[in-house]
Amino acid sequence: MATERRSAAVSLSGVGKTYRLGEPVHALDGVSLEIPTSSYTAVMGPSGSGKSTLMNLVGCLDTPTEGSVTIDGKDVTTVSDRERTRIRGEDIGFVFQTFNLMPRLTARENVALPMVFRGVDRSKRRQRAAEALDSVGLGDRLDHHPNELSGGQRQRVAIARALVNDPALLLADEPTGNLDTETGEQIMGLFEELYEQGNTILMVTHERPIAEHAERIVHLLDGEIERVEELSEVGR
Amino acid sequence: MNLLESLRISWRSIRGHKLRSTLTTLGVIIGIAAVITFVTLGTGLQDEIIGDISPDDQQNVYVWAASPEDSGQGPLAGAQPVFTQRDASEVANLSGVDDAYVYTRVPGQSVTYAGDTVPRDSGFIGTGPGYFDAEDFAEGGPFERGTTQAVINPAMAGLFDENVSVGDTLTLGIYQGVQIDVTVTGILENSDSMSAFEGFGPSPRLYVPADLTENTETQTELLNLSEEELSELLGDSDVANRTNLSGAAGGLLGGSAPGESSRHIAMVVEAPSKSDADIERAKSETKAYLTSAESDASDRSEGLAFQLKTSAELISQLEDVLDLLQDFIVGIAGISLLVGSIGIANIMLVSVTERTREIGIMKAVGAQRRDILELFIVEAVILGVLGAILGTALGLLAGYAVAGYIGIPWVFPVGWTALAIAVGIAVGVLAGLYPAWNASRTDPIDALRYE
Repeated sequence: MATERRSAAVSLSGVGKTYRLGEPVHALDGVSLEIPTSSYTAVMGPSGSGKSTLMNLVGCLDTPTEGSVTIDGKDVTTVSDRERTRIRGEDIGFVFQTFNLMPRLTARENVALPMVFRGVDRSKRRQRAAEALDSVGLGDRLDHHPNELSGGQRQRVAIARALVNDPALLLADEPTGNLDTETGEQIMGLFEELYEQGNTILMVTHERPIAEHAERIVHLLDGEIERVEELSEVGR
Repeated sequence: MNLLESLRISWRSIRGHKLRSTLTTLGVIIGIAAVITFVTLGTGLQDEIIGDISPDDQQNVYVWAASPEDSGQGPLAGAQPVFTQRDASEVANLSGVDDAYVYTRVPGQSVTYAGDTVPRDSGFIGTGPGYFDAEDFAEGGPFERGTTQAVINPAMAGLFDENVSVGDTLTLGIYQGVQIDVTVTGILENSDSMSAFEGFGPSPRLYVPADLTENTETQTELLNLSEEELSELLGDSDVANRTNLSGAAGGLLGGSAPGESSRHIAMVVEAPSKSDADIERAKSETKAYLTSAESDASDRSEGLAFQLKTSAELISQLEDVLDLLQDFIVGIAGISLLVGSIGIANIMLVSVTERTREIGIMKAVGAQRRDILELFIVEAVILGVLGAILGTALGLLAGYAVAGYIGIPWVFPVGWTALAIAVGIAVGVLAGLYPAWNASRTDPIDALRYE
């Protein structure tokens, strides 16, 4: 998967985001951060600290009002909406708190969806989706619809979908937020496996025990980086 | 994303809402079915009425006199009996006219052949020999003026059990007690209308000389009636004066006042060719003669206007009326189609709102704006096309059933069927455009947060 260890998968330099809804609100202010390839980073902070804004900027869902965001060597702040959408599809894999699966599609079709928009042909899609589901332990649930799966299984489908395009960055937003503790731990175990396989992971959470699975924790407060905490030992 | 993929995904979401999709499509089905049904019936009706015009009919000018308020209302509308046999002969002698003959409706009740009597309440067609061309006949030829002869068409011949052939005698029942024997001189090739005056389309017809009721044999028969029978026939007229009788009886049968030669309701003038110039010339010369004091028609045409029309003009007049009617009905059907497409637009808007989150997911995993646009337009187009296909099928079926029920020919409207499908696509695109555009503009951040 990722080849050069410790080169930057994502780098933010002086990134600011200001919302102008009457009074200007500085959701992010001068944030600079390097996320090396094959690293595992957690972002923590109370609500309103700018976690979601950071996620949206890194995930190419939004553009900063100042500074620049570089993903896999490409500056994504100045590119067109079309190009940003392409990067989103090819270089970033999203895992959401609420899973965000398409309810009418089967697990396999959900996983194959990102490839549909990349124009991958059907048989290849089906095969790769099956492989991805197998790798998250759902090889026997290919044709189940999301409502026939448990929360943990749904999140696994979402993770398989995030990985299927072999992205530069796996972006997880409170991935255990809707799961019970035990299932949450299982999902964290899966993330760890993925990390060990060389995937780059950026995870936003407000739960300390979850954040502690990462290599380091970036603490956000009022739109600025308060401190970066390096964890001596990964996880547990 | 390729189109096949869009079709697959859109079709799935349509199937995901079966009842809603069905109801939405129903609006289009009803609209298209209504248009197709009415167009089918309209075309069938037009075919029924107009049939086919024979090419030699194209050089004919049809002349009648009617009060000005009846003008522009189709052949013989308000026609008054003003033309005499002499008028026709005079017109035929005009330099710009090839031939001319009167046309009249000879009242009648029945035709008898070999003891087999068939009712003919609509009477017979009285005209001149020039009304027919040699190639119109399957057997024999035209009658002669001033004789008791007749020409029949195959439909007429078919009414009798026995085979009618040239030289046979038919007995025409004109009025109670009055019968005229006529000799068949010719049988026509087909039963189509011979001119715009006869109405359009095939039907059983019997043609006699316009002066049939004026000829001596007929009058002799009338004179042989008893006084009682005559007074019954002529009502209050003075029958004591037998010298006046020939005029009285002739008048009864030919539509003229006692003591005069009979008057006919119309005249057919043949131009030398079907070129516009020749037809115009024949028209203007005929009109000049008819309005001059020289003509018999002029002294009866006070307050009346002469109508001179070619068959093309008469047919186009009829077609105008039919087209107007059809446009009107299609207009109403079109409104229901419009309502149907508003239904699609409405349901698509609801669908976009309802699927905001799905749109967000698709955008997050790499769907471009145009992918989303395509998905929703394809969905609307599928609904539109489905509606158009089902509506066309339903409309054709309904048209077929109704045409069969009221007895007009069923015509398959190829052009309209193609148009209906095109309209279905257009309705889908138009109705889907705004909702799809809306969907494609959805901000993925908001959409993913949408509950």
